[in-house]
Amino acid sequence: MDLIQQHTWGWFIAIYLYLGGLGGATLALGILGELRFNKSKWFGIGTSLLGLAILSFGLIWLVFDLLNPLRFLLSFWVKGIAHSWIARGMVIIMGAYIFGLLYAVAAFFKWTTFKKWIGYAAMFCGFGVTTYTGLLLNANVGIPFWHTPALPVLFTVSAFSTGCAIIMWTLAGKNDHDSEHLFHAVEGFDIFLISLELLILFAYFDFARLGNAAVMKSAHLLLNNPLFTIGFIILGLVTPLILEAYASVKENSKGMAAFASLLVLVGGFLLRYLIVWAGVFQYPHGLAG
Amino acid sequence: MARYGMVMNVKACLGCRACMAACSQWNQTPFWADEFEGKWRTRVTEVEDGKFPEVKRQFFPTICMQCVNPPCHSVCPTGATYINKDGIVLIDYDLCLGCGYCIEACPYDARYPYEREDLKKDAFYFGEDARHHQVHVDKCTFCVDRLEEGEEPSCVATCVGHARIFGDLDDPKSEAAQLVNSGQAKPLGEYMGAQPKVYYIK
Ligand code: SF4
Ligand code: SF4
Repeated sequence: MDLIQQHTWGWFIAIYLYLGGLGGATLALGILGELRFNKSKWFGIGTSLLGLAILSFGLIWLVFDLLNPLRFLLSFWVKGIAHSWIARGMVIIMGAYIFGLLYAVAAFFKWTTFKKWIGYAAMFCGFGVTTYTGLLLNANVGIPFWHTPALPVLFTVSAFSTGCAIIMWTLAGKNDHDSEHLFHAVEGFDIFLISLELLILFAYFDFARLGNAAVMKSAHLLLNNPLFTIGFIILGLVTPLILEAYASVKENSKGMAAFASLLVLVGGFLLRYLIVWAGVFQYPHGLAG
Repeated sequence: MARYGMVMNVKACLGCRACMAACSQWNQTPFWADEFEGKWRTRVTEVEDGKFPEVKRQFFPTICMQCVNPPCHSVCPTGATYINKDGIVLIDYDLCLGCGYCIEACPYDARYPYEREDLKKDAFYFGEDARHHQVHVDKCTFCVDRLEEGEEPSCVATCVGHARIFGDLDDPKSEAAQLVNSGQAKPLGEYMGAQPKVYYIK
């Protein structure tokens, strides 16, 4: 059948997809937490800047994956915006930087109304960044395991789950009432997200079971890779789900939830890496049948 | 304005790979690369068909399909990949970011990176006549420079078995158009929606 694994993109891109999603989700969740739960201004400033820092660190990997990293300035030339997800992504990322920084400034000076509206714009861009990382892979029509609408959904949910993990980490050391309240709200949201992620994965593999040869090969590669089955599914999803569910009904269990979020963070990276790794396409002579 | 296309008559291909040699010399593509499957604008792959003892050996030429709805063009962020007036998909090297998105997106594996080492080798083999001066993604252009001079693409011009038939698909008198219009020649992987303009007779 002449099916082979793509070899153009490797773990540099996987790190970028992971950190992009993580940064975008941290930005969006941090601002949401501050606006909705009336957290201190430093929480809003801290999480939005942290989100942008993670995103920036991710972009470095993308730049180093270019044939000539010095040409990265060309990425601002977004002539392909009408159809290219890299061009659209650049605009969304710029939006995240501009609105995220403005939000931090507004939070610092306590410009309440301005902060709220700018915060919504930054949240929207943060959300956009998480989704676009999946849409980026989705556009590759020759790799059918990626070319499914489930991929951006999976990446978005996973990104928000890792974002929850970061927010929980920033709150874990604080014992004031507001922080506790937000911590448990995020914990509950993460339980929902991980369950949803498991459901999407189930649908994904069920689709692959009935898919064409390339899709089946991708699924086969993943299901036979212990990094995926044990590393991602068992340790990165099921274990943190159980731990967080247990922690949510127990007193003084923030340590357990924080440990669970560490697993979620590792799992999130494994997911990106393995999905990129398992991209299978068919050589043209194979298409001749 | 033409609508250039090509018909590959797989049955007529001898597997001599003269097309690959001619192309790599004309377009200075990395014939020096290690892997055979690596960096060619056109490839001839040996395929085995059937089960023992009925095994059939065939040689299968592939090339950029010059798609009407090319995914490589859809994903290109900077507009480096563009379609010219004759429907040929080209790359503006000055605008190419080198992101590799198009290599991934092309469903026919027609693109490859022209990297720094390749530039050095190009300068080494071709000296002043070297045609590649910056890193970029590379692919077949239907030898657009030769078309302008009224010549056929170099792979077509060298093809020994008349396996490559090139022509304007809008000109009903051209052999290529006749093979396509009669339904004898068919595109590969039509379901992917790229609408290739290279057709195959198998
Ligand atoms: S075959 Fe690939 S490189 Fe050529 S036009 Fe189609 S999508 Fe683009
Ligand atoms: S590598 Fe160059 S031609 Fe290909 S998508 Fe990126 S910018 Fe466009």
